[in-house]
Amino acid sequence: MADLEIRDLKVEADGTELLHGVDLELDKGKTLALMGPNGSGKSTLAYAIAGHPAYDITGGSVHWKGTELNELTPDERAKLGVFLAMQYPVEVPGVSLTNFLRTAVNSVNEEDIPVREFMTRLREEMSELGVDQSFLQRSINEGFSGGEKKRFEILQAALLRPELAVLDETDSGLDVDALKTVAEGVNRLSGPDLGVLIITHYTRILRYIQPDEVHVMFEGRIVASGGPELADELEEHGYENLRTTA
Amino acid sequence: MTDLLLDHLTEEALTGRSDAAGEPSWLRDHRLAAFKRTLDQSWPDSRKDEFWRSTPFDRRFDIDRSVVTSGEVTTAVPASITASLDEDAALVRLVDGSVVDIHLPTSFAERGVVITDLATAANEHADLVRSHLGSLTSADPEGTGAGSDKTVTVNDAAWTAGVFVHVPAEVELEAPISVQVHVTEPGAHLPRVLAVLGHHARAAVYLEHTSEPDVDAFVDEVVEVIAQDASMLDVVSLQRWDDGIQHLALQKVQAHRDTTVRHLSVTTGGATVRLLPECDLVGPGAEVRPLGIYFADDGQWFDLQPYVRHIAPHAKSDVLFKGALQGHSRTVFRGNIYVHKDAVGTDTDENNRSLILTEGARADATPFLEIECADITAGHGSATGQIDALHLFYLESRGIPRDEALRLIVAGFFREVLGEIDLPGVEDAAVAEIEARVEAADLDQVQVNDATLQDLG
Ligand SMILES: Nc1ncnc2c1ncn2[C@@H]1O[C@H](COP(=O)(O)OP(=O)(O)O)[C@@H](O)[C@H]1O
Ligand SMILES: [Mg+2]
Repeated sequence: MADLEIRDLKVEADGTELLHGVDLELDKGKTLALMGPNGSGKSTLAYAIAGHPAYDITGGSVHWKGTELNELTPDERAKLGVFLAMQYPVEVPGVSLTNFLRTAVNSVNEEDIPVREFMTRLREEMSELGVDQSFLQRSINEGFSGGEKKRFEILQAALLRPELAVLDETDSGLDVDALKTVAEGVNRLSGPDLGVLIITHYTRILRYIQPDEVHVMFEGRIVASGGPELADELEEHGYENLRTTA
Repeated sequence: MTDLLLDHLTEEALTGRSDAAGEPSWLRDHRLAAFKRTLDQSWPDSRKDEFWRSTPFDRRFDIDRSVVTSGEVTTAVPASITASLDEDAALVRLVDGSVVDIHLPTSFAERGVVITDLATAANEHADLVRSHLGSLTSADPEGTGAGSDKTVTVNDAAWTAGVFVHVPAEVELEAPISVQVHVTEPGAHLPRVLAVLGHHARAAVYLEHTSEPDVDAFVDEVVEVIAQDASMLDVVSLQRWDDGIQHLALQKVQAHRDTTVRHLSVTTGGATVRLLPECDLVGPGAEVRPLGIYFADDGQWFDLQPYVRHIAPHAKSDVLFKGALQGHSRTVFRGNIYVHKDAVGTDTDENNRSLILTEGARADATPFLEIECADITAGHGSATGQIDALHLFYLESRGIPRDEALRLIVAGFFREVLGEIDLPGVEDAAVAEIEARVEAADLDQVQVNDATLQDLG
């Protein structure tokens, strides 16, 4: 069994079936790209993996390291190493970024990291990702620009050290420099202990993060799979051809 | 000595007590004049009195009680929030009907700060006390007093334990002055505080309210503060009562030219709390920031009525109250703003936000604006909501368990208010109060607003 094994997955939201039977496998140490036009169901898959309350798994299964995720709460999934960098990170007023991050790190690692040690680590990661120290005083995502939110998602991944990172359009809304910084951040995390599922609409981030496989989703189904060359094809011809073959 | 009954005060009993306390004759006459006014007043009728409509006086307050006129340190009084500070703060402790001890730091005394019980002050600082005591309540018909509420006049006539604070002109105190009101005896309690800040003075006055468990008492409190020109005043009132307390409080500030006033109330305890943080802006350039946080649990009823009167031109007020509710609880926010016809250039805003955690709680908000002047800026807003399901999911998806995530979100809700205050010990005390409430909450019952889940797209 693969580390992440998705079998015939069906997902509903608000009474509508959005995924109609998706199969996907990902092992730690590998990077997989999931592409597809807007509205094809990419975020739905990401949310189903993370346990978003609006998305119900109505058929099939998602196994991570042999455990059926559907039975776990979102925080239990995080403790198993699952991390979702969200397409639209949420603003949580009044909850300080420092307090939030420390609570998350302590809870995922089931230990109480001394404040000093934590702050040192946090400051290091922040400067690596070009996040200004003044953010320590701010509330979660409050008043962050689109790009700042995306960097903050990667900062969280860096601190939580997941084994499965699902990056949902982390590249969108970033200028080239920011894209490079974020991609470097992801590459720093990569290694034999991390599986990456990179969800993107465009191919440009794949120039910085090399996928082992590319899968294409359309209308709630995987319609094409291949190696990195599939991304280049999509770059040239767009998603139009898929629609006809799907 | 004759007993004092809250609902049957007598001239004889008041005179006897005043004489026994060694009060000067002007103070006795002052009490008797107030007593005479009580005879023409009736207790609030919530069906008729606009300001009482939100809270049924006869159901939430019991006036059939004798007044507790003495008190002593019999059991441990809870530690003041100033106890853990590095600064040497002033501390006055009132237990039941008596001032039981006063700590006045040497550095305060050296600069002429007076903190004493009110009866003593009436003799030793007669000029100050006589001209200010009752000047902000119904006792002075020429004042901007709250009118003729009997609950206030009764305190004017029969107040028991009283505290007088004077911070002379240009004295700036770094450490706070804490007045601790602790209740151990059932009955009616009538504490009184008078504080005068001279021009360019600065002080923070904390009012800490605590009680022994299971004491059934009615606390009818009046606090008057005169803030003279360009002074800076902070008042923090912490309601940390146990369950049996009915608390009525008029905490009124008169703000003169160019003063900066902040008032923060933190209400978590008591069966019924009706708090009136009031401010009369009588000098141009004065600014007041009435702030409030509250957390009502099963059976509690909080009625919060900040009242700002813009009497002078070019003054500013900005009211912000935030409350959380759970169980069968009820909160009322009524923000009253009055703008006098000559108060041109007034800038006023008021906001109230409520967070309903569980079913059965009810939060009402009524802004009440009485504006006689056209040339002003005024705003108000209120909203009631629930914990946002997306906020919760975001935190949970980072490994934070649901109960801890709720705690962070609720504490975060209050941060907006606490962020406005940087007084020693206050934020920690307020956060501890709130967290204790959330910790005790039945988190399985928490209702989450999932409306936001649908519009992700
Ligand atoms: N909470 C929801 N309720 C109902 N429909 C939804 C919900 N979330 C997404 N959808 C719909 O499901 C489809 C797939 O959406 P999504 O997974 O966000 O696509 P992608 O991420 O590929 O752009 C879209 O048609 C979208 O409108
Ligand atoms: Mg998407």
